[in-house]
Amino acid sequence: MNGYKTMLKVDMRRLFTSRMFYIMLGIALCMPIAILVMTSSLAGTETTNPQTGEVTVMEGFENTWDIIGSESDTELFGGTKTDSAAEASDNAAMGMNMDMTSMCNINLVYFMLAVFLCVFVGGDFRSGYAKNLFTVRAKKGGYVASKTVVGLIAGAAMLVAFFIGTVLGGNIAGLSFDLGSAGADGLVMCMLAKIFLMGVFTAISLAMSVYAKKHTWLSIMLSLFGGMLLFMMIPMLTPLNSGFMNVFMCLAGGAIFAAAIGSVSRVVLLKTDLV
Amino acid sequence: MNAIEIRNLQKNFGSKQAVRGLNMTVPEGAIYGFIGENGSGKSTTEKMICGLIIPSGGSIRLYGKDYTNAEVRSKIGLLIEQPGCFQNLSVWNNMMIQAANLGIESAEAEVAKVLKLVRMEGAASNKFKNCSLGMKQRIGIAMALLGEPKLLVLDEPINGLDADGMRIMREVLTDITKNYKCTVLISSHILTELEKIATHYGIIKGGEMIKEMTAAELDASCRTFIALKAADMNKTKLLLSSRYSRVEETEEGYIRIYDLTEPDEVTEFLYNNGVTVSEIETSKIGLEEYYIDLMNERRA
Repeated sequence: MNGYKTMLKVDMRRLFTSRMFYIMLGIALCMPIAILVMTSSLAGTETTNPQTGEVTVMEGFENTWDIIGSESDTELFGGTKTDSAAEASDNAAMGMNMDMTSMCNINLVYFMLAVFLCVFVGGDFRSGYAKNLFTVRAKKGGYVASKTVVGLIAGAAMLVAFFIGTVLGGNIAGLSFDLGSAGADGLVMCMLAKIFLMGVFTAISLAMSVYAKKHTWLSIMLSLFGGMLLFMMIPMLTPLNSGFMNVFMCLAGGAIFAAAIGSVSRVVLLKTDLV
Repeated sequence: MNAIEIRNLQKNFGSKQAVRGLNMTVPEGAIYGFIGENGSGKSTTEKMICGLIIPSGGSIRLYGKDYTNAEVRSKIGLLIEQPGCFQNLSVWNNMMIQAANLGIESAEAEVAKVLKLVRMEGAASNKFKNCSLGMKQRIGIAMALLGEPKLLVLDEPINGLDADGMRIMREVLTDITKNYKCTVLISSHILTELEKIATHYGIIKGGEMIKEMTAAELDASCRTFIALKAADMNKTKLLLSSRYSRVEETEEGYIRIYDLTEPDEVTEFLYNNGVTVSEIETSKIGLEEYYIDLMNERRA
């Protein structure tokens, strides 16, 4: 336990002194501003396909919160309403109807976290820090737990940065902030659910990172692939009108996945060569 | 008690046997020079001792306990390949991170102490990536010394250093063994430097230990010789070969007569046969030549 605390302390210190972490936060902050401002300024623009003559009208976000989530009509855990942008967002996540407004949303932060965590963990192996650490500390479980907590905190920070960027972007673009039937509590629950769901993605990225070790490119590829398989679940589990059940399911799912995949990561560290 | 005791150690990478049945005994307090060609299994063995590579077979005992024992492991300091430092952090911060990992309470004082020992106290605020190779190696040693280790594992710590860097490193290693009284396992290709500090040697070839000995045993088995230069080298060689059994001409243009320590006797003999000696000295085969001879014997 003492070893875990020390490792966590060191990892937290590394996280908050890491340039890449702040770059990711910056991207998470600027991305919604750029998306909201660009899509709203281009909304309504008509483009004609010179070969077919087909006219396409650019769609933009009508409501600021569409970039955070859509109101669920699946009645998975409650919720009744859907709108076009929200539906597009859900459809895009399920591999259908890909367009700008449906692809560019808060769920991209999960991929940003995957990249960040792979670089962060890969750095341990590339720099030789892992050699020092594992020579003097035999506990692999502490390493996995520490990195999971750091990944969760980094992911939560990125989600919050994206949320702040959304508020700023919505103001700049002059979009509506109407929450409709979801209400403020639904928005808070939605954000909490997204944060807890980070546990699943953190665990996947961590497992890929400890498997690939210093081959960061490989861990990023594997994490993105693994994350892609679960990506379609995010809008379904964390709609804008989330309730307590959504938060609970994401918390339980995040914790169970983090523990289960974390155990796999520990075994990988125990059973494979570390350099 | 032996600091390291390895029996029948094996490591396979796929079908390749990197280490095959290696036995090694490093007494407590020794500076053990671990010598071998590239790819002979030195680094693999060191990594297995540090628990970074899982052995395919055999046993490793450190201070009488299995190498996986957490208590023993916490007393290992290592410098394998490169120091485990983050490029963008300062030397000081990198050291503080390792001090925290080791759970050192008075971390600042300990870091300052080891940096001073390796003569790097002036570079503490430098970013690690801006340090020269020699500085990085010394930082690596400083990092290995944190927490007062009982066993230091150093893999090629003097490779790539210039003459001054090697001198500083040698002095640092000598200081360490005096101040810390720890056991040092050090591998290097620069045998002339290793010879100056090692108390024990292990020679590895093809993943097998082919010779283990103390510095005194090496000294005893290294033959003495007389090296000389004369005006007519061909005639000199012929004359000396007629009288002494082991006469060789070296690439540097000297004639060596082995197992002989009296230069006066040789000078007089040559003088009586009309040869004037221009240079003559008594010397001894060093570790490097001993190693080359041993390798040649094995190849033969």
